[in-house]
Amino acid sequence: MKPLTELDAAPAAVLDDTSANPVEGIDQSAGNFSYKVDYAFDAGTGLTEDTVRYISSVKKEAPWILEFRLKALKTFFDKPMPTHWATKDLEAINFDKIRYYLSQGQKPKRTWDEVPDDIKRTFERLGIPEQERKFLAGVEAQFDSEAAYSNIKEIVAKQGVIFVNSTEGLREHPEIFKKFFGKVIPTGDNKFSALNSAVFSGGSFIYVPPGVKVAQPLQAYFRINAENFGQFERTLIIADEGAEVVYMEGCTAPKFSTSTLHSAVVELVALKGAKIQYITVQNWAANVFNLVTKRGVAHEDAEIKWIDCNIGSRLTMKYPGVVLKGKRARGEVISIALANDGQHQDTGAKMIHAADDTTSNVVSKSISVGQGRATYRGQVHIPKHLKGCKNNTECDALLINTNSRTDTYPAITVRGDKNSTQHEASVSKVSEDMIFYMQQRGLTEGQAMSLAVNGFINDLARQFPMEYSVELKRLIDLEMEGSVG
Amino acid sequence: MSATATPSVATVASAIGSFSAAAFAAHLATQSSAPAWWLERKRAAYEKFSSLPMPKRGDEAWRFSNTGTITLDGFSIPASGSPSSLASPFASAIAVLNFRNNALVSSTPLSAELASTGVIVTTLSKAAVQHAALLKTHFMAQPQKLGSDKFAALHTAFVGEGAFIYVPRGVVLAGPIVVTHSAAGAGSAVFPHTLVVAEENSKVTVVDLFTSEDQTAQFACGANDLYAGHGAELVYVGAQNWSPDTLSFQFNSTIVRRDARVKSVNLHLGARQARHESLSQLQAPGALSEMLALTIASATQEFDQRTLQIHQAPNTKSDLLYKNALRDQSRTIFSGLIVVDPDAQKTDAYQSNRNLMLSDDAEANSLPGLEIQANDVRCTHGATSSRIDPEQEFYLQSRGIDKSAADELLTFGFFEEVLARLDLEALQEVLRQLIQTKFTR
Amino acid sequence: MSQLEIKDLHVSIGDKPIVKGLTLTVRQGEVHAIMGPNGTGKSTLAKAIAGHPDYSITSGEVLLDGKSLLQLEPDERARAGIFLAFQYPSEIPGVTIANFLRASLQARLAEGEELDATAYYKRLYSKMDLLKIDRKFTSRAVNDGFSGGEKKRCEILQMAMLEPAFALMDETDSGLDIDALRIVSEGVNALRGDKLGIVMITHYQRLLNYIVPDFVHVMWDGRIVKSGDKSLALELEAKGYDWVKKELISS
Repeated sequence: MKPLTELDAAPAAVLDDTSANPVEGIDQSAGNFSYKVDYAFDAGTGLTEDTVRYISSVKKEAPWILEFRLKALKTFFDKPMPTHWATKDLEAINFDKIRYYLSQGQKPKRTWDEVPDDIKRTFERLGIPEQERKFLAGVEAQFDSEAAYSNIKEIVAKQGVIFVNSTEGLREHPEIFKKFFGKVIPTGDNKFSALNSAVFSGGSFIYVPPGVKVAQPLQAYFRINAENFGQFERTLIIADEGAEVVYMEGCTAPKFSTSTLHSAVVELVALKGAKIQYITVQNWAANVFNLVTKRGVAHEDAEIKWIDCNIGSRLTMKYPGVVLKGKRARGEVISIALANDGQHQDTGAKMIHAADDTTSNVVSKSISVGQGRATYRGQVHIPKHLKGCKNNTECDALLINTNSRTDTYPAITVRGDKNSTQHEASVSKVSEDMIFYMQQRGLTEGQAMSLAVNGFINDLARQFPMEYSVELKRLIDLEMEGSVG
Repeated sequence: MSATATPSVATVASAIGSFSAAAFAAHLATQSSAPAWWLERKRAAYEKFSSLPMPKRGDEAWRFSNTGTITLDGFSIPASGSPSSLASPFASAIAVLNFRNNALVSSTPLSAELASTGVIVTTLSKAAVQHAALLKTHFMAQPQKLGSDKFAALHTAFVGEGAFIYVPRGVVLAGPIVVTHSAAGAGSAVFPHTLVVAEENSKVTVVDLFTSEDQTAQFACGANDLYAGHGAELVYVGAQNWSPDTLSFQFNSTIVRRDARVKSVNLHLGARQARHESLSQLQAPGALSEMLALTIASATQEFDQRTLQIHQAPNTKSDLLYKNALRDQSRTIFSGLIVVDPDAQKTDAYQSNRNLMLSDDAEANSLPGLEIQANDVRCTHGATSSRIDPEQEFYLQSRGIDKSAADELLTFGFFEEVLARLDLEALQEVLRQLIQTKFTR
Repeated sequence: MSQLEIKDLHVSIGDKPIVKGLTLTVRQGEVHAIMGPNGTGKSTLAKAIAGHPDYSITSGEVLLDGKSLLQLEPDERARAGIFLAFQYPSEIPGVTIANFLRASLQARLAEGEELDATAYYKRLYSKMDLLKIDRKFTSRAVNDGFSGGEKKRCEILQMAMLEPAFALMDETDSGLDIDALRIVSEGVNALRGDKLGIVMITHYQRLLNYIVPDFVHVMWDGRIVKSGDKSLALELEAKGYDWVKKELISS
């Protein structure tokens, strides 16, 4: 309700710095770093119909896709910023100064020696593999993951799985992807889904045939890939009847930032009895607006689970959702958010019950450090004449410093007398007695705080794959440094 | 993205409706004995009212409200009330004021003994002359933070009469002060007001009863201002039972000073559409505000309750429990927010909304919110919407209890937790009887 | 051989003086019991030595091998060899005992040195066996949902693992039934030896039947008013604290 004045007053200068090149002149003091890179394809700054036509032609797209994009562009222009419920900080985005398409970067003329020491230390402490570090640091424009990627592609292809990027998916398999593309999240869902629909590039298109259970999580093998670092990636995953797949994106390392705006759209379709798990761990540079729309449709007996960890960014707005379309469908959102100084994590979940006996579960834990702000925004909707629907929502917020902030804004609608919902939220801090107890065992105050915070999210962190949860722990240790004393 | 519904443009009712400049002028003409400052406030309020737009779908403060059915057309300010034979519902009341169609029609004054302690129970119009300073400080003096700026201004512009209750320092009143507000006649617009100032270490219980004398469509736009000074104890009970066709707005502002305690219990039964906004400001250490409400929604009624608990000082406590029982095609909206200011460390705040779903066509909306800017706090909230345990239902049926009787039993059981928090047995009983009427209608 | 010297120590909570000039020297290998009625400053003494921020030392000294502890942070004191077995141990949700102890031991190693995980678990399990603690315990969060007895055993387990030079045991017997008391005492007795000095704070003599002290001190109104050997505890048990009170008044 009350505007956060420090965000309102935030100058747009950070964004204006990107006028010449979005990767130039970004403040490096806060762990953001970048180099001038030359790109083979560059749509220039600003957004017009020409930008969209340029992107579509570079990608050699079918006319219906261009049409889809142009229509989306109009929707984007027509829609107001959602500042009547969201933060006014959104108004700081200057759409004219953003580049909407960059591709095939040429090798930047930088060396590892030029990477700032604190960044190297961060990689070291996070345990980022050698070869990935160079890419993350922008020393190599493209991480050579092709071999690993082809390998996994080959393995899953034997099972009939289609695993391609969005451009290829729409070009080579329109009969599969067109049917669902833009259906789970319509272009006009919100201003940023419209923007993505107009300028999307990158992201994965996956189809898993009936009954196929993909053994290994997809994407981990090519988690570092130029297109996946795009600003406007588009992902569509279809698990056919009885199929199962786990998809992972992101990593905990601070990223070589190519833009101040990231706006992805992710659509999931779990057909009858299918299971999809979508895991995200992201740590954006502190000047990034991360405005993402993620939603899945779960058909009869299907299950969709979003596991989401948001760290960094200036503002993240992300509310993964599940439309529970078939009987006994299940939806789940597990989320961890960490907001440090100058950051606002505005995250949550959306559960739309559209069939009997559907269940949804939301567990959200947030940590606000320094002047960080974490917001939970949720929607649970159980419309008329359904029966046996259940939702359970738990939000726990941990405030580390006296000036940290947290908000909770759930909206729950239930119709009828045969469903039940339960929402609970709590706010707490790490008690001084607990810190003293740990100090008495020889841990420094900072170590004690890190341990307490890791304990707070432990039950959720365990749901992440091992390598992610290990990185996550180290990242929290890093983030908690300087939070005490 | 987009956790909220996108706004869509809906037809908006006339922004002033029946409350035209001419109607306002006619109202002012009836206020000839009022002091200039009072009239000036009214004029300013009318300006504000007429300049503000009607709420519309998509306004955050009106999320889930059916704004389309809010209209200001078809109402009129009734001629002043005629004496009524309303009996006081409480034998134990220490003073009674009966208002009908915006005028005082009867009263039972305080005993001479109590009056000599400095306790004042009078009308707003008299207070405007005799206690101008107090009225200026407390009457509609708090910001409207919950979305009804327009209707609060309408209230100030048209308020004709109301109760003014002042309890001086250290005076402890045992029995309740009862104020009744009734509306009569089709299209009558009433603007009930009750102002309570409880000074340092005083103790008082005030009961507001809102009723319609007939079943016509009426318009009620009322407010109560509660102020509890250092160490004061104030209990407020409001029972709303307007006719089933009434459009009702009610605004509460509560200020709680150091070590003061305020307990408010609101019972909502009547009106076709009722919006209730309640703001508690905890301004000094030791302040406690208990905000309790019970609603029985039936037929196509909509009850829209918005609350705000603002912790402005350290070591303050607020405790909110709103319970709704929903029948038929009714709707309820509970939107609550706890705000903890940056310096309000050691805040203890609680907020809970419980909905008992008694019909397959009823709809409950819950928006329990928190905005916390201090870290050493205890803040929790919860919202549940639950069905009746089918086993329990079957058990009742097996005893030959029909649906309506079962609803009644379960509702009483569901409400007991709140009723029990009223210390005065007689008050509990009055509320029980009112609740009963909702089931025998 | 290490020694812990407490010299004319004065401790306040807020403005209120609690410990009012206490002097005591403990050498490694010795077990000192401090007895006294409630509210006499026993727990305050232990927490102040450990460096709890709520307790301010207004005058006096605490020396470990001649070096003052008072300017050190609580964790530095802990790493210097002071262990406090808490009367009311904190619960740490989500942090397992195994991880907690590992972090605590790691904190004692030099930078760049890594704890040997295999050796660590081997040692942890042997200590757990000694204290009759189920191995499943290691994956439970520290003290979270523990019974009173479990919490106290968990304290002794930590003491066994961290191998302090001096242990301050604050009402370790409180809330324990006879079986739990026996197990805890056996654990403490097993740790006794040249490398450990113990200060046992207790209200009752009961514990001293199991852990036999070398010295017994009676604390009254923030000071040690009487010292002796284990027979003093028995005398105290027989005559009650009123006896001390009367003696104090008469002297």
